[in-house]
Parts: sequence; structure tokens; C-alpha cells
Amino acid sequence: MHEDQMLVADAANRIFTEECPPEVVEQAESGIYATGLWEILNTNGLLLAGVDEANGGSGGSIIDALIILREAARRAAPLPLAETFIAGQVLNHLQQPMPALPITLVQGNFELSPSGHLNGASSRVPFGRNCQSFLIAVNGANRQAPQTISLCLVDAGQVSIEQGNNISGEPCDHLSIETEVIESHVFNLDRQWLNYAELLGAAGRAVMMAGALEEMLQLTVDYALERHQFGKAIAKFQAIQQQLAVFAGEVAASKRAADTLLESAELNALDVAIAKARIGEASGISAEIAHQVHGAIGYTREHRLNQLTRRLWQWRDEFGNENYWQHYVAEIFLNDAAGELWQEITELKV
Amino acid sequence: MFQGMNFSPASLPSSVAGLRKEVRAFLTEETEWQPNSDFNAGASPAFSKRLAQQGWIGMTWPTRYGGGGKSFLERYVVTEELLAAGAPVGCHWIADRQSGPLLLNFGTEEQRQKFLPAIVSGDCFFSIGMSEPDTGSDLASIRTSAVKVDGGWCLNGSKIWTSGAHLNHYMITLVRTAAVSENRHAGLSQFIVPTRDPGVTVRGIDNLAGESDFNQVFFDDVFIADELVVGEPGNGWAQVMSELAYERSGPERFLSAFRVLAEFVRCLQSSSDKPQRILAGRLITHLVTLRRMSISVANMLENGEMPDTQAALIKDLGNTYERMVPELVRLQLPEQRSQALAAALQECILHAPSFTLRGGTREILRGIIARGLGLR
Repeated sequence: MHEDQMLVADAANRIFTEECPPEVVEQAESGIYATGLWEILNTNGLLLAGVDEANGGSGGSIIDALIILREAARRAAPLPLAETFIAGQVLNHLQQPMPALPITLVQGNFELSPSGHLNGASSRVPFGRNCQSFLIAVNGANRQAPQTISLCLVDAGQVSIEQGNNISGEPCDHLSIETEVIESHVFNLDRQWLNYAELLGAAGRAVMMAGALEEMLQLTVDYALERHQFGKAIAKFQAIQQQLAVFAGEVAASKRAADTLLESAELNALDVAIAKARIGEASGISAEIAHQVHGAIGYTREHRLNQLTRRLWQWRDEFGNENYWQHYVAEIFLNDAAGELWQEITELKV
Repeated sequence: MFQGMNFSPASLPSSVAGLRKEVRAFLTEETEWQPNSDFNAGASPAFSKRLAQQGWIGMTWPTRYGGGGKSFLERYVVTEELLAAGAPVGCHWIADRQSGPLLLNFGTEEQRQKFLPAIVSGDCFFSIGMSEPDTGSDLASIRTSAVKVDGGWCLNGSKIWTSGAHLNHYMITLVRTAAVSENRHAGLSQFIVPTRDPGVTVRGIDNLAGESDFNQVFFDDVFIADELVVGEPGNGWAQVMSELAYERSGPERFLSAFRVLAEFVRCLQSSSDKPQRILAGRLITHLVTLRRMSISVANMLENGEMPDTQAALIKDLGNTYERMVPELVRLQLPEQRSQALAAALQECILHAPSFTLRGGTREILRGIIARGLGLR
């Protein structure tokens, strides 16, 4: 990371450590949205990094935004930060001012009539009940411009929410809509940009998983040193040490894969694919070991460990699971008929 | 965050692109050997000699000893190209990776002048003598010992699992030169033992694949002149430990099964089977990540750091990967599979047990990582 990015990381880390203790996460999971934390992040310009100031953002790059997401994930911040990041990037690309936040990009089954009547539904919208604005992606190509799709900006008053949640325990709601959209709130978006938004999501989840994994390793090592059985710290048993060493290997690989994304000025799709797949794989193995070492206490809802593990289990499935991205990687390598595998590997940026 | 888990991204200097091309051009002319990416699988003095003529042995060593004065990253590129192509690097491997750097760090000027130019020219090969019949992971328990005599030492004992001792000229041998004291690590020394000395007997041991590349070596009153002691007598343990980052972080720790992956991917060009492609993608994501970690460490070595925990992490993750490749590929074999894939797979499965033993067992590595985590 460059020096100014280290500053972003340090500042974000300090704020999340101070303002997002486990109790804040617990409260959010009991249904009290973390408005206070959201306001602090807003005041500190941490919600819209990578969005031009002219469009209402805090400037900087998407790398800054990814760094902030990683720090947020270490504390399991219970807010739609990645969702706002992705939708913010789309609006920024369209040179639109930021509407009321949080905002999320929603794909599902939506139709828009020529007269501006929008209707449809999406069954899984993370933090749907908490979002103030929604960017609804309409199905099918635009008749006039087939390489684009229509995006409608609507506000919370225009949607109906049926509450649900996902494996992480965070809100994941059913959203339905039946409304009129004014013309100035309908945009044409390149289909490629919709794919890019998915890539931003995968990159966001990859760095978030890497951050949560680092934190989880630290928690587990601390616990092993502090918990005594048979007259000594369980960290002194080889059976525990060997498991934690495997865990450390997975975290080290994850950190390296995530750091690759933070080193480039812009996202490289192959690197995102590698990171999402590799870190997703690490998440399963690591969560298993972390819980095994913590024993029953980690299995209790009140313990901080499962605030992290539940999210890892969620994030590894979002924006493409391991198999999705592994297949993507294979297609890139295999469809380049001219290239030998080794040659292609050495052509990648290290 | 734990210090030993930092793998700062490092880029390869642009100069390596030309070097990589040169190595590939050299390898296309090489047709005499069967490719195998396991660094220990093939040994050819003639190949090592041809490599030396290109200036690719002792690349990082000072030019005054015949070395190339190049960076660790340039050496990295040459070694990874050789392994990926499956070249028979066994003869010069240890001398180039380990014995030469050891002499540069701890050897006398006389030793450097005598051995380094001979290694660089591809005429002098080394083995490592550490394990003994009763000593494996617990290295400090070795019993091979030497007593001081006029002008040198009288060596007795035996080493085992010594790869290449039947082909090589010398072995850097860890020897007890003082009685065991409270500090088990004290009283150990490293000797340069000429393997062709009349008091040295090299006896081949067949491995499970039916080959005889490792040996038991017996020392029977072998006279080792003072000039062949590396560093200070009694400092052997510290010297051995200083070699570990070089020994454990290189591409040979995750490329042993590369031929299997390469042939698998080649066969998949004509198959669109999804589970097969998913597996290929999975194995590639691991490989790319390991390579990036390993290059980070090569860069740390270039900067004079001693990243022992990182090296242990790479070797453990890399060896796990090498063992996973054949086990998973065998379950996803394409219908149209080549003879080359079948052969690579068979070779790899037969040699796989050695991957997680040689150069530090999985259990020892994980112990080092645990120390890095502050658990021990």
C-alpha cells in the first residue's frame, strides 16, 4: 500500500475499533440499526471514498474504498457499506449526485414501461429495510440502445419491504415495487458496467473476508494463550499449534491475494477472481479451525467470534462463490489457445 | 498483525523479461530428458554443465568468485523456469541454492575461492548431510561426531537420506564436535566432507518409486582438514538455521506437481466439462497466490531480511498444494487424456510422500509457524 493508503487504513481502523465494539454489532443483530456508527462514518468521509467530490463523494480512489471496507469487516460493522460503495460507483460513473444514503443496487425481476411505470421484485436485498435509496436494474436490453440497460433511482417510500435475514444474521429483505419513476431518475447503463459493478462487489467481499480472517486469527491465538486446560494454556498443545499454523497459512494466502487488489490503480478482473476464490476457500477452513479452538464458547451467540464467522459464511457466497470464480479463472486460461499455462502465469503481475 | 505473516507485494524488475526469454530459448534446445517438475527427480551432470555455461549457476554470487552478481529475483526467474519446464536440476541444486550462500556467509576466503568458481562452472556438486538413522526432525540429537586431531578433525558416524551423494563431490555435514551440554544446540559444526574420500562409503537406498537417489553415507575415521570446517567450530546450529529461509521459500516448494497441472490443462483445451474446469481454475488460483508469496520472500532475501516464518508458511502451504494436485486431478481425469498426463500423474503420486518430508517436515514447519504466532 502507498503511504496515503496506509493513512486511510489507520484512520479507518481507529474509527471502527473505537466506534464499532461487539456490542454495537449485537444491538444491530437484535434489530436496532447502527445509525450512530453510520453518522460517524459519514462525518469522517468514509462512506463515499472513490466517488468524485463534484458528485457528493469524498474523492480518492476505489482502492481507498476497498481499504475502508476491509477495516470495517475486521469489526463486523453491521452496515450496508459495500452496497453503498457499489451503488455510489455506478452513480459516479453516470455523473449523478448522490441521493439519500444508504443506497443499494438491486437486480431481480423488474420491468419498466415506456410511460415510466416500474414494477417487479427482488427476493434477497441486503439491508433493504435500512436503505434510503435504491438503484433498480431493469431486466432486458433497452430497445433504442441494446448494449445498455435501464436503471431507476427510487426512494424508500416507493418500495415495499418484507423482512428476512441471511446466514450472517444481517437483514436480507424481499423488495417489491410498483411505482412511477420520473424521467430524470431513469438512466442508461452499459451492460459492461453492470458486470463491473458485480466485480466491485466481488473485490469488496474479497478484501472484507481477508480483513475478517486476520481479525479471527488474532482472536483465536489470543484465546488459545489465555484458556487453560490440563494445567497449561491450550496454545502449548501441539494439536492446537498445528491447527493454528494451518489457519495462519490460509490467512497469509488471503492477505496476499487481497493485497494484490489494493496494489493496482484499477481492478483487474482475473486478480479479483483469484482473490474471491482463494479467500473464499480460506474462509471455510479458517472458520472451522477458529471454532474448534474456541470450543463451545465460540458457538454462543454472545461471543464475538461468530460475528465474524457468520459473515464469512455469507460473504463467500455473495458475488460469486469459489466455484463460480474458479471456473471463470479456468475459462480465461483455457480460452487463450495460443498460450501455454506457464507462460500465462508468468505474464500476470506479481 | 503477526510480523511473520507479512508478504509485501514485490514486483519483478523489468530486466527479467529478457532473461526469462533466454531461459526459454535455452530450454527449447534441450531434448535429452523427460520433464519432471520435482527438483529432486532428475539429475544430469551434463545438463548442469550446459546450464553453467549460460551463467545460471551461482547467479547471485559476487563476480570475483565467478558468480553473476545478479539479484535474487533474477535467480528466481531462472529457477522457476527450469522447474516449470521439468529440467533435471538435481546435480547443482543444493550447491547453487544453499552451499554457495553458506560459504559466502560463513566460509573462509580460501574456501570461497576454492569452491565457488567450481560450483559456478558446473564442475562441483554438493549434498547436505543432516539426518541420521536415529535423528530426523530432532536435528540437535545427531551422533555423528569428530574429535580434534593435529591439523583437523577425525570424523566418524553416518548420515542418511542424503540425496545425490552418489553423484556429488562434497556434502556439507552437520557434526557434533563437543560433548552434549545443557545447551543442546551448542557443540555442533559444519564440515565440507569430500564424498569420494576413501573413508566415506555411499550406499544407495531404493525409494518407494524404485529409484535410488538418496543414500546412507558412512564415515570411518575420515580426516577433515581444518580448512574444511565452515565458520566457527561450535557455531553449526546457527549456521544451519540461517540457511532455512533460502531452503524453504523457493518455487521448488510448490511446483513439484506442476507437470500434472500443465498436462491436465492441456487436455482440457478440448473438454468443456465444468467440474474439470473448476478444478483447473482452483489449482491455478492457489498456484498464482503461492508464487506471489514466494516472490515477496525472494525480495525480502534480496533486501537482506531473514523471513523464517514466511518461508515456513510458503513451504507448508506449497507442499500441501503439491500433494493436493495429483489427488484431485486423478478424480477429474478427462476422457481424452494424454499419455503425458497419465505419466506425470503416476510419477507425482509416487513421489508425493517426500514433498512434505524433505527440507523440514510438515510438523516441524507448523511448529515454526506456531512460534511466529507467539504460541510457543
